[in-house]
Order: sequence, then C-alpha cells, then structure tokens
Amino acid sequence: MSMSDEYSPLVIEHFERPRHVGNFAPGDDVIAGRAGRRDQGAEFAISARLSNERIAEARFEAYGCPHCVAAGSWLAESLVGADRERVQRWTWRDLADALEIPTAKRGRLLILEDAVRALAEDWHKRT
Amino acid sequence: MNTAECIYLDYAATTPIDPRVADRMIECLKPTGAHGNPSSMSHSFGRSARALCEHARAQVAAAINASPQSIVWTSGATESDNLAIFGVAQFQADRGRHIVSAKTEHKAVLDALKQLEKLGFQVTLLKPTSNGIISADQVAEALRPETQLVSLMHVNNEIGVIQDVGAIGRLCRERGVAFHVDAAQSVGKVPIDVEAMQIDLLSMTAHKAYGPKGVGALYVRKKPPLGLRPLLFGGGQEGGLRSGTLPTHQLVGMGAAFEIAAAEREADVPRLQSLRERLWRGIQALGAVQLNGDPERRVANILNVSFHGVEGESLQFALRELAVSAGAACSTGSEEGSYVLRALGRDDQLAQSSLRFSLGRFTTEHDIDVAIAAVAREVNRLRDISKFSGRASA
Repeated sequence: MSMSDEYSPLVIEHFERPRHVGNFAPGDDVIAGRAGRRDQGAEFAISARLSNERIAEARFEAYGCPHCVAAGSWLAESLVGADRERVQRWTWRDLADALEIPTAKRGRLLILEDAVRALAEDWHKRT
Repeated sequence: MNTAECIYLDYAATTPIDPRVADRMIECLKPTGAHGNPSSMSHSFGRSARALCEHARAQVAAAINASPQSIVWTSGATESDNLAIFGVAQFQADRGRHIVSAKTEHKAVLDALKQLEKLGFQVTLLKPTSNGIISADQVAEALRPETQLVSLMHVNNEIGVIQDVGAIGRLCRERGVAFHVDAAQSVGKVPIDVEAMQIDLLSMTAHKAYGPKGVGALYVRKKPPLGLRPLLFGGGQEGGLRSGTLPTHQLVGMGAAFEIAAAEREADVPRLQSLRERLWRGIQALGAVQLNGDPERRVANILNVSFHGVEGESLQFALRELAVSAGAACSTGSEEGSYVLRALGRDDQLAQSSLRFSLGRFTTEHDIDVAIAAVAREVNRLRDISKFSGRASA
C-alpha cells in the first residue's frame, strides 16, 4: 500500500492546494473561531467576513495531519454563503463523508467542530 | 538507486545490493555455481559450497578484526541480537539475572529484553544524555554483582550517535560481565575491532552494508570461550549455535559486501560526511530546526532533524518524493513520536515532526540539492498554513 492510499483523492487535492489559507484582520464585519492545541495533534483557526448576514469569504489556518489541512480547506470553501443558523448547526459528519476521513482521525474533526462553534458564538455576540 | 518519482535517502533502513555483490551471488545461483549443501563434506558439490561459505566467514571476520571461527551465521541482526541476549542470559542464568541496556536500543534488543523480564530477569535501561550518549560511568553505576550482560548498540539507527563501545567494553571486561554490541549500522562507516574494543558478542547484518537481506552474523568471543544457549535446534551447524543449512549465496553476498565496505570505508566516509553537511546546511537555513543526536559523535551518513511548528504526518506525506524515515506514526491517529527521540527528552511535537535522512554509496550532490529544495518548499508551506497569526476568538 502506498502512502497515497491512506488519503482520499479529495484529501490529497486539498492538502496539496489548500484554498483560502490565512485570516482576516479583525473588523466589524469579521468573525473568528479557534480550537485545539498542537500537543493534541490538531489546531484550527477560522475567520470569516460577513456580508448581508451571510459569510462572504472564509479563511482557515491548520496545524495537523493531511486530513486536518484538507478539512480546514474544505470547510473554508463550503462556508461561503452560509447564514448564522447553518454555521450553528454545522457538524463534522458531512465533511467526514465528503473527504472520506478514517475513523481514527474523527477526534481531530471534533476539534474543527469546536472551532466552528467558536465562530458561531463570535457571530452571535455581534448580533 | 532512485526512481523517477523518488530519491532514496533511507540507507539506514536498508541499502541496495552493490552490483559487485550481486554478481558474486548470481554466480553462486547459476547451474555452474554452488548448489551443494555446505555440510555435505563427502562430495565435491558440498565441499565447494563449504569453501565459499568459509571464505565469506573470513571476509566478515576480517571486517571486525575477529578470527573466522568466532563468526556464527544468522538470518540478520534481529536473530543475532536475540541469540546473543537469550543465549547468554539463559546459559549464564545461575550467575545472575540482571542485564543492562539503554532506552534508545533497537526493538530487536528491547523486545528480547522484555521477554526475559517475563522470565524473571531484571533489566536496567539507561537513559542517554539529550544528545543520545551513554557514558561508561553510567554503565558502571548500573552494574550489580548479579549483572551478567551489558547490551548496547554501536551506532544508533535513528540518530546516528556513536557510543564509546571501547570504554564500555573495557569496563565490562574488568568486571567480568559479557558485553554485546549491536553493530548493524556500523560496518563500512565506523571502524570496529572486537579485540581492541573488548567486545564479547557483536551483531551484524548484510543488508545495511550493500549486501542481501536475510543474512547476518554474530561474533562470539572464543578466548576464553563464551557459553551461549542456541535458539534453534537441529542439524547442529555453526558449532551447534545455529542449526540450519547454510545459504551459500547469501553468505557469499555478505562476505563480499563486508570486504568492500571495509576496503572503501576510508574513501566513503568523508564523501558521505560532506554530503550530509551540505544537507544540514540547506535545512538549517530554514530556521527553527533541531539536530537530533550528538553533533560530533555521529555516523557520517545519518541526519536526524526535528522541525518546529510542523506536524509530522503532514511533513512525511508532503515529502513523499523523498524516501526518508519519519518519527511520525503515519495515519494511525497517534501523536506519539519516535521512542528514541522521546528518550532524548524531545517533546511530542518535536519527536513526531522528525525526519531521518540516511545517505549512502549511491547518493549524489544532485540528490541532496533536490532534497533540500523539497524540504524547504514543504516546510515553509506547512508553516504558512499553521501560522495562526490571526486573533483568537474571545
């Protein structure tokens, strides 16, 4: 088995060419969420720029395995257009299915979910 | 030795067979070669195979300044380590049941010792300095009246640190304790002289010195004779220490590989060292990297580096165009890094984000430059993704 077999094609694609890396400078229209620690094996930061009660753009930073980097990238892409309710309801399951994340790595997706929760809370505080 | 997609920098894991070695093995395997059983001394087929085996034995012995009679053929360093450790422990069990070794040993030693613990032996595993060194003083402090064996590796397979086996051998000889050295990584890179170093047992393998896999040897001191209990029983080959028909072509391969390794060592070592320094300078320029192992007492061909702020599994996958070994346990979801680096006191992140580059006879400057460029590109890329320069959420 080659190393590439352990990652789905979509994981490899997002890992090698992650979308929306970075963060937005703080501002009235910017929300942010962060979770995890390096010694837990995964850390995520997400920030998003709001427009008309929806996410206009999202950016991510991630420390972790290829699944984590790909998950951050996939999330940042999929958050575009989301309203507050969708962000609040977000769980790791859709992402795990889309990226075919192995069971052993699901704990790290829960950390990502915590970062999305923090993002939703930041949004809530602004309303 | 590279493929179109991958540069081979994993010579400490195994080496390709030197074409000169392969030629001699192939000669053996041909119909005109030596198919006789080396134990069949009653006919010429057996005798000519035996002659080849004995020539190979002399070649291996010469590489470590031993007498040919003191070499026992095995299937590799794992078997040699097991034969040495179980052999002495069980033969001399009435002398005492305490063994001294180190936390940074190869699993072939550590797991053999774990088995002995289950049989009631006591094992002291020494903790090395943060550079990976075990001192003779540390060994002296650990010795007890009932200590029967000290087992330490010559060159560490992960970090390349060279232990002062001469000083430890002297100590063990003075105290009457058997001294076993795992020298799987040494041949062709570091001089070995079992007489001068006062080594009683020395494990060797062919496949880390451009010979074939599946063959190794154990040096067992002859004067005065050291008693060992065998692991395998059967035809009584190798003086009863290792039953089993000798694999002539494998032994020929190991003999040739060791002869070449010993003859070319003085030319190989400075070349490898300069390539390794070139690699280290290139990697060091990235910043926030840490050399694992002792900067001076280190084998010429191994460079082990930890990268601050880079996750190990991602680093390993991102650099799959390089055949290197990683401290990370890939894809298992485990954050635990190499046990050797942890024994040196590295934290989880650094132990997990380490890479071992090991160079060899066929490594070129071009390989090193490609490796530096790939490491720089991917480490910078992964660090950019994990900068966390933004504000944290409240």
